[in-house]
Amino acid sequence: MMEYDNMMDSDFKEDFGPKIQVSAADRYHVDFELSNVDISLANSLRRVMHAEVPTIAIDLVEIEVNTSVLADEFISHRLGLIPLNSSEIDNLSYSRDCDCEQNCERCSVTLTLHAKCTGDEVMKVYARDLVVGFNRPNSEIGNPVITDPDGLGSLICKLRKGQELKLSCIAKKGIAKEHAKWSPTSAIGFEYDPHNKLHHLDLWYEQDAEAEWPKSKYADVEEPPAEGQPFDYDAVPSRFYFEVEGIGNIQSDAIILEGVKELQRKLAGLIHGLGESEGMNGEYDGPRSPDGMDTGAGYLEQGYSTPYGNPGAASAWGGGATAYGTTPYGNSGSNGWS
Amino acid sequence: MPGRTKTRDDAPEEVDTSMDDAPTSAQQPAEEENGDAMQEDEEEGEEDPFEEEEEPQRVRILPGSSETAASFEFLKEGHTLGNALRYIIMKNPDVEFCAYAIPHPSEDKMNLRIQTYDTTTAAAALAKGLQDLEDLCDVVADEFWTQREKFEATPEQVRKRQEEAERRQAAQAS
Repeated sequence: MMEYDNMMDSDFKEDFGPKIQVSAADRYHVDFELSNVDISLANSLRRVMHAEVPTIAIDLVEIEVNTSVLADEFISHRLGLIPLNSSEIDNLSYSRDCDCEQNCERCSVTLTLHAKCTGDEVMKVYARDLVVGFNRPNSEIGNPVITDPDGLGSLICKLRKGQELKLSCIAKKGIAKEHAKWSPTSAIGFEYDPHNKLHHLDLWYEQDAEAEWPKSKYADVEEPPAEGQPFDYDAVPSRFYFEVEGIGNIQSDAIILEGVKELQRKLAGLIHGLGESEGMNGEYDGPRSPDGMDTGAGYLEQGYSTPYGNPGAASAWGGGATAYGTTPYGNSGSNGWS
Repeated sequence: MPGRTKTRDDAPEEVDTSMDDAPTSAQQPAEEENGDAMQEDEEEGEEDPFEEEEEPQRVRILPGSSETAASFEFLKEGHTLGNALRYIIMKNPDVEFCAYAIPHPSEDKMNLRIQTYDTTTAAAALAKGLQDLEDLCDVVADEFWTQREKFEATPEQVRKRQEEAERRQAAQAS
């Protein structure tokens, strides 16, 4: 125990602790190298950023008027995919956890849209035309993400003269595991071992894999294998190259922090759950035989039975009255596999 | 059953077993083995409905577990937690063996097997693993944030940002 703690505290942290090197960062991208961690942790981080960082997206659409050429559900789907600003999403609760009946300002943001084409030209309805309701946790959340220089946002639909679109949407908090519209990222690049030293990849080739496959952009960061170097069976990957690409609903660097936070939230939930059961029943009910393979009945009738399941009588192994002992196959007493 | 030659009719009526009689494996169903403990929990939750929404027990010990060798079943967890947890628990020198599995892809369950030396228990190793992983996450988050801040400060990045802003302004003006 002590050794382990020491290792964690001093040497471990300084020499082998996780290291990060950021190589590019802007509003939509963060490229970084995570090193000195196990592949399992790096992959957990990738997975959690991909699927479990909460954002907000339109989830319910009530269409009042739709005389456009597009079907109601088609427009609803398009609305769902519009990225909405998800800053300080922690202040918004999941609708399913909220105390309200269906949805309220603590668990949702309302957006409305009303457009009618009156001119002769085709009217384009954009995300900027969505009107965000008031009573939001903050003034940013729920705003459609607009990145183009004209400030239009995503195109929702086109209307010809006389066509009208009137609807209201309820945007809710969610995660991409449920629907990809809640994804904070459009892509996460994840790679390691650019020279394939570990042989995790089996590269297809005609004559020479080395010549035919393009080099990774990280190839010159790592030492290429020396000529004729034998394969190292003990080698494990330790440098991981991430390229996180956000879509603007969450700042790119916040995606990573939120990802770690989400992972921790998972752990905290489990620690909490375990702690609770520990207090009530000691987590694991009482001492038992080391092999633990005795039947349930064995430990219930305490005071008499041995840990190995009272021989002869009613144990699963002893034959006799159990289902095992009386197979229809005539090999009673043995284990049933003849 | 390769050795099976008799038909069902040949077997005497009273000896015949139905699927329900025979356990599917050597292990007893969980309810019998250590179900009491878990059930107690649930009843507790039902008794006072005001004290937090009954969060169903998300971890349970599978039957056939002992003090130092236990299998845990996690509900609603997957590779994201399983693999990282397996790694961190295996790092614990008191742990002899740790592995995880997702027994079936369409069941939202993850099994974790822990076998420890006599110096600790499987449950303690799990608790320690969870805590260690949380600490490790803290370190990663801190490290990321310091590096991100540092990166921002390089003049190259400042210049890049400025250029981008100017480009955007120019595009907006035209």
